Amino acid sequence: MTQISVSKQRPTEEPARRAREPARRAREPARSVRATGRRTPGWVMSLPVPLLLAARYLKSSRRDAYVSFLSLLAGGGIALGVAALVLVLSGLAGLQAFLRSDVLARTPHVEVELPAGEDAAAVRDALLEALAAETRAPKVEAARVLIRGRGWMLVGGSSVDVEVIGYTGTLPALFSQTEQEVGESLDSGIFVSEHLAHRWALELGSRVDLVSPRPTLTPMGPQPRLIAQRVAGTFQRGQTEQYEERVAVPLDVAKRLFGARLQRIELHSTGLEEALDLAAVVKGHLPEGSRIATWQDLNRGLFFALKLEKRLMFVSVFLIVPVAAMALITVLALLVSSKRHEIDMLHAMGARPKDLRRAFSTLGMTLAGSGLVVGGTLGVVGAFLLDHFKLISPPGDVYFLDHVPFVVQASDLLAIAGATLIFTMASTAYAARRAAAAGPLEALSSV
Amino acid sequence: MHSTETDTTADGADWAIEASEVFKAYRDGERRVEVLRGVEMKVRAGELVAVVGPSGSGKSTLLHVLGALDLPDRGQVRLAGQELSRLDRKEQARFRNRHLGFVFQFHRLLPDFDALENVMLPGRIAGRDPSRVAERARSLLVEAGLEDRLDHFPNQLSGGERQRVAICRALSLEPSVLLADEPTGNLDPTSAERIFELLLDLQARHGTTTVLVTHNRELASRCGRIFTLENGLLT
Repeated sequence: MTQISVSKQRPTEEPARRAREPARRAREPARSVRATGRRTPGWVMSLPVPLLLAARYLKSSRRDAYVSFLSLLAGGGIALGVAALVLVLSGLAGLQAFLRSDVLARTPHVEVELPAGEDAAAVRDALLEALAAETRAPKVEAARVLIRGRGWMLVGGSSVDVEVIGYTGTLPALFSQTEQEVGESLDSGIFVSEHLAHRWALELGSRVDLVSPRPTLTPMGPQPRLIAQRVAGTFQRGQTEQYEERVAVPLDVAKRLFGARLQRIELHSTGLEEALDLAAVVKGHLPEGSRIATWQDLNRGLFFALKLEKRLMFVSVFLIVPVAAMALITVLALLVSSKRHEIDMLHAMGARPKDLRRAFSTLGMTLAGSGLVVGGTLGVVGAFLLDHFKLISPPGDVYFLDHVPFVVQASDLLAIAGATLIFTMASTAYAARRAAAAGPLEALSSV
Repeated sequence: MHSTETDTTADGADWAIEASEVFKAYRDGERRVEVLRGVEMKVRAGELVAVVGPSGSGKSTLLHVLGALDLPDRGQVRLAGQELSRLDRKEQARFRNRHLGFVFQFHRLLPDFDALENVMLPGRIAGRDPSRVAERARSLLVEAGLEDRLDHFPNQLSGGERQRVAICRALSLEPSVLLADEPTGNLDPTSAERIFELLLDLQARHGTTTVLVTHNRELASRCGRIFTLENGLLT
């Protein structure tokens, strides 16, 4: 080795040795390099400087037990937060999708409320004719006349406030039922919710009285209109409490209760989006004083509540990520602090502040990104397992679901990834700026 | 980078380092400490000079100022024809990378990089081709007698070997000026002698203008010229 040969030189031999050295060394390189175990530097050295530094610092952070622990804490925290978010949001998405489909199945696509005195059937026929002539109009799959009004139902001295729906033909969408739910029914009469029937011990053919708030003038003064009806069948109540207040009666019974008021036309199109277009076209063909509402208008409150619920859940569960990001800041600050001299030396060697900032940002984002990927994977796999094996089953007699469905939505995943990356990017910026701001004087000062 | 015209020496060669009327002071609480009080220094290209002086005389401060690491309060410093005060932070970094090499008392090698990679770093910072940078680094390390230590990390090297790697790193981009601040100060006499020899050898072969700050009068006497820094003045 050169080192040994140099140490053996005596001062008197120095000039001669120094004269011989260049020639000797010029002959040696090839042999010497071959003698080493490695002839090429690590692939990392081919990376741009910020990545090169980040890769090596990431590797070195694994050797330091404390930094390693904090890195695990930061990455694990982010993974936990992300997994929790994916699970919560997919659970909510599943529940909301179920609720939405149930509600929409019971909601007309477009509902037109006609002014008092109009002949609803005639308006409906004229409307269908006009729509048939409109080339741009979406297809109308069904159009029916309804009466909707509020009244009371009396059974054996008890009364309940109900919404009375007068219909023709089959039960309207408001009472949409599965085959199992239909059960036995009479040809004509009143349909009440199964829940109400059970509570009041109503059976098929039981007598109930419907009372209208619109009085009839008699010689003895205004008297309430009272119509007796037989229970013709029951329907399964919907997923919200409001449906148990609804009853369905034949249209002529509703007319007798409310007169030529509260008449509506219910329209169904080929789809929800088409229904919105249909509403826009229908608007121009209605008598003055008519009011039109789409499925969106009819459920605005519910949809808003669902959206709000999801956002609030997102914000509250996302709080795990900032806590983990604080650990990330600690890791990076610790690394910057422990590598102070190295950073200063890099400055002295001419590394640009931008490169050092990027190196530590990359390091932070690598840790955060790992947490994001691990957490996202855990969340998606967890949601799949929970849904597939129906692992969360609420009591059937209390809730309307036999299991909680989980639906992983790409938009949710994007929102989670975006929010996590933005937050962790902001967190890493602090340490990265500290690394970039340091001047090279410290490296020299310690001399 | 701004370029300026260069002065020449009496024999027509360029001045590699020109410092004129350089003043530098620091605040120490309420007290103002004048470290450099009108330093004048001119070093020819390829020359090896030593700067000696008692502790606290401002040798390191002078090196900071010469190395574009700190700006003087007053006066001018021109290195390789470049007036340093005209450079912004980014340009200073670029200038240090391309024109200056530093060797410190403590090697300041990056512990996560092996010897070869440490020597490659200035080249990679300059954005040069990795294979060429590696080739140059390897040849320098072989010149320094470290052919068996290319893939050794700093903690696997002796103090002398580390300092040799640090010298190779400083010379890897063939800088115009090498600034060495007590490069042997942390070594035992034998290792210190070896390092100094290497420095002389490489300096002579590469023709690098070198400013060596040292306490060791014996080592300083082996340099071409000796500057003494006392009371803020260079004589």
